[in-house]
Amino acid sequence: MFTCTGCALLCEDIEAIIENNQIKEIRNACRRGAARMKGCANRLVSSIDQKPADIESCLKKAAEILRNAKSPMLFGLDNSTCEAQAKGIQLAKKTNAIIDDTSSFCQGLLIEKILQKKLRTCSLDDIRNKADVLVYWGSDAQDSQPRHLSRFSYFPRGESRQRGYEEDRLAIAIDVRESNTAKICKGHFYRIPLKGDKEFILALMEALSGKAPAYDTKNMLGLASILKKAQFGAIFVGIGLTYSIKNDFEILTALANMLPRFNIMPMVGHYNMRGFNEALFKETGFVNRVKFEGKVVNDNKFAVIEALKKKSIDALVVVGSDPVLSLPRSIISHLASIPVVCIDPCQTFTSRIATVNIPSAASGVESAGSAVRMDGKLIGIKKIIENNYMTDEDIMKRLMEAV
Amino acid sequence: MGIDIGKFLKNPEFEILITTYRDIFQVEALERDRFGEEYKKLSAVITMSKNDLQKTGFKSGDRVKLSNNNGTVVVEVKESKKNESGGLAFMVNSPWSNTLISGETDGKGIPEFKYIMARISLSKEEITPILDLIGAFHK
Repeated sequence: MFTCTGCALLCEDIEAIIENNQIKEIRNACRRGAARMKGCANRLVSSIDQKPADIESCLKKAAEILRNAKSPMLFGLDNSTCEAQAKGIQLAKKTNAIIDDTSSFCQGLLIEKILQKKLRTCSLDDIRNKADVLVYWGSDAQDSQPRHLSRFSYFPRGESRQRGYEEDRLAIAIDVRESNTAKICKGHFYRIPLKGDKEFILALMEALSGKAPAYDTKNMLGLASILKKAQFGAIFVGIGLTYSIKNDFEILTALANMLPRFNIMPMVGHYNMRGFNEALFKETGFVNRVKFEGKVVNDNKFAVIEALKKKSIDALVVVGSDPVLSLPRSIISHLASIPVVCIDPCQTFTSRIATVNIPSAASGVESAGSAVRMDGKLIGIKKIIENNYMTDEDIMKRLMEAV
Repeated sequence: MGIDIGKFLKNPEFEILITTYRDIFQVEALERDRFGEEYKKLSAVITMSKNDLQKTGFKSGDRVKLSNNNGTVVVEVKESKKNESGGLAFMVNSPWSNTLISGETDGKGIPEFKYIMARISLSKEEITPILDLIGAFHK
């Protein structure tokens, strides 16, 4: 059995059929996981200035870029093992770099609150064994973490939930659209307007405290009644909710305080984003947006978005991420004027503009290690096929030696 | 044959509110080949409710131009199969939707990925190729 690196569920029941040291078939994984483990069509080729170059020259050039930069940034590592992340953080420290990752514009806000113990949480195994009320809020697990409902939340039998979804569990969706997850929550889908989450939470808190809220009174009282009766509840916080309340995040803590039998679970996409957040938190007390300059400084100006917009970095090393794909186009123009080093198993939009490209082994397929599941559990990752690619960990180590 | 006056008239333009979402098939295509036709086909799409299609006169398969202060893209229209009342359209996260997203974050570092205001009009142009979206950043 192997571990899937398709998302932060890190499914450990994956079977791989190998022929001639190639993956012929992946079994048990979802579409996303199977596609990731089978590999991409366009493997990254080592290059300098978009011209083929040997790996040693690429490593040398990347180290030179880092050495010459006054304000470099290391970005990514969410699709790397914990071992590579630890080395990456040390590399950032050694080069007085800024370090940030996708959580900076994703679930970082939420994970920080969980690591600071400001929000109550639990394990996915607790949810499978005990949970009777499940709330998918701004989260379409069916499309983003496709085996969430079948492995951990709604469908499985658990120690205290022998009859699963038929009798023992109730699933609720709160969303701006009828997502594929909302479709499963038949009769318990609460549609809210775009950015309507704050108003919904405030009304729900009124209903939970026994008042009749002005907003959607009947539905709100019904929902409050279900939540109050829960024995073991879980709120799966998706990016839809996080974005919607990003400026008023304390209201989620206030709601959680009114629901003492509920736990908050961050719905994480990249397979080891939580691992990065935990490693950096342990090292610095912050989950992202950190600059090492003899001391640790955390500031919003070190968020990748702000740094690119303000053109405050003069070199960018990207590991296992594709900012040219995932960031607003209006922001990424600065990448054209600074050296970019791209470390990835596959060609990406970022690799097409990078000064140096360093191909790496695909973790979970071509390299082993460990990763942190969305609930904080450390999971082992195995290597499936032999190969000659350097791991992210090796590359971080070589760069550290060379700078 | 008379003069086709229609070609001199500007296509009517509508204001539209768009939110983004994830789609398993598009993510699968991304993992396989982000430069491929399948990824483009599943990404360069705006899904609209039946009501909004009736209001605008667009139909599934039409190409539309989406513009705002952040950029312009041409994508294909698809009718939503879900029970949507209208007033909100949907795009999957991709370089096409990211072209329309503002970099303004009030210094907080999180753009409005799920709240896009844009103008929409019928277009005869081809779907914006992916390399046009990242081409400007080539060194």
